Amino acid sequence: MKFSEKIIVALLKFAASITIITTIGIIMVLLFETINFFKEVSFWEFITDKEWTPLFAQKHFGILPLVTGTLLTTLIAIMVALPVGLTIAVYLNMYAPKGFRKTVKPLLEVLAAIPTVVYGFFALSVVTPFLQSIYPDLAGFNALSAGIVMGIMIIPFVSSLSEDALYAVPKTLKEASFGMGSTRFQTSFKVMVPAASSGIIVSIILAISRAIGETMIVAIAAGQQPRFGFDPTVPIETITAYIVQVSMGDVPHGTLEYRTIFAAGITLFAFTFVLNSVSFWIKKRYQEKYD
Amino acid sequence: MTVKEPMSALVKNPQGAPRKNTIIEARNVDVFYGKFQALKDINITMEENSVTAFIGPSGCGKSTFLRCFNRMNDYIDEFSIKGEVLIDNKKVYWKNVAVEELRKEVGMVFQKPNPFPKSIFDNVAYGLKIQGINDKTFVEERVVKSLKDVALWDEVKDEMKKSALALSGGQQQRLCIARTLAVKPKIILMDEPTSALDPISTAKIEELMFELKKEYTIVIVTHNMQQAGRISDKTAFFYMGDLVEYGDTKQIFTNPKKERTQNYITGRFG
Repeated sequence: MKFSEKIIVALLKFAASITIITTIGIIMVLLFETINFFKEVSFWEFITDKEWTPLFAQKHFGILPLVTGTLLTTLIAIMVALPVGLTIAVYLNMYAPKGFRKTVKPLLEVLAAIPTVVYGFFALSVVTPFLQSIYPDLAGFNALSAGIVMGIMIIPFVSSLSEDALYAVPKTLKEASFGMGSTRFQTSFKVMVPAASSGIIVSIILAISRAIGETMIVAIAAGQQPRFGFDPTVPIETITAYIVQVSMGDVPHGTLEYRTIFAAGITLFAFTFVLNSVSFWIKKRYQEKYD
Repeated sequence: MTVKEPMSALVKNPQGAPRKNTIIEARNVDVFYGKFQALKDINITMEENSVTAFIGPSGCGKSTFLRCFNRMNDYIDEFSIKGEVLIDNKKVYWKNVAVEELRKEVGMVFQKPNPFPKSIFDNVAYGLKIQGINDKTFVEERVVKSLKDVALWDEVKDEMKKSALALSGGQQQRLCIARTLAVKPKIILMDEPTSALDPISTAKIEELMFELKKEYTIVIVTHNMQQAGRISDKTAFFYMGDLVEYGDTKQIFTNPKKERTQNYITGRFG
């Protein structure tokens, strides 16, 4: 091999290894700090205690309130994004004229490009007051409006990836269904959606994964009160919002309080890692094989 | 799950020779894709319980014409049609025609086997389900009968829950025919149904057509001249959008009136 080619190969390898080294580095730091954390707090307390008050005098280290907060906002987001996103995908694939699909799909993806801080502000200053006009007991900071706005943000994940999955279904299946005398609606929901189900499930899981990791919206609009339970009308705190709170605050480095964010971080990492692995597995395992 | 009526009970006009009625008719049909004229002034009539074969070189318009009978051309951009297509004396392209209803009368089998990614049972039951028929015994009987009619029942009766995609190509195509039969259409359109199959599967499907024409009217597009000769009662030869010659299959293959037909069936072009 020529010397110049060797340099090129080395450069490419270096570029590729940066991402891997970074990932390994992050996991190492997370693990290291988490191990230190668990030297002082029992793992059992961490996963069973229903209070999370590391910054108070009366300290409790139960992650559950942060987990329920995260799950609650994510659940609300999915309840918004799944029906809307799937409807959009079916509409674009089965009903819309070709030209319309070509213009609207990229436009929808713009939704994902809006900075999340804008969404957060939108939730706090538009959605919450609007919801309060319907339900006056709603707190100023609450899981509901944060979840709804997060759902709007992840609509393009569901709609775009689901539409890709529908588009990948062989044309011959559509023909078969129409040929049997099915309406467009029947073809959509009895043939196309089931045939694309693995891709649609993957799109939902990736959207969930995105919602769990979302930080800015919940930090701005959902509050900072770790609370065990699933009441969407009161302030809560998610894992991500807690990490922001501590990072931005004046907690000194190297203390137990500081280490809590690594324990919280690794919990978050575990969630998204499992979800991404599941979606990867589904993609490989259930992709219908058509020749 | 048993089948109550034997096949012969369903044959129309059991006494004597069946009276032949015209079931498909085309009058002055022109078809355009944008500015390109795919079919030119086609006039043809087809009788009930017959097999008609459409032959001709690729791009001659035979598949396009076939798809005019169940309006599968509707999904092609820039498709337009002039003239009349009549099924059972009803105008197919009349603006108030419910296309879904039409396709329940005029079933279609495609070039490549295209079973749904569902179980064998669900594939055959699909047409009944979308019509809102949920009577379990009725659906089961119809599924079994359809599978028996296509001689697939013995091969699949123990694995009705298995995915249809696990079947071989020939089995899949027979399943697709069974799926079409289950809704009891009057006409079955077949668009090169054996072109993706091996000779044994092809023979099975040809054999099947002899049985099916007792109950159904079949129109088949084929590139296989021997196949047209073996299975059809009448043959229509298309060339560059024209219906060159149409007549009894025997006559077309032994004594064609037009030179172009002669050249095509003897393999001098096409």
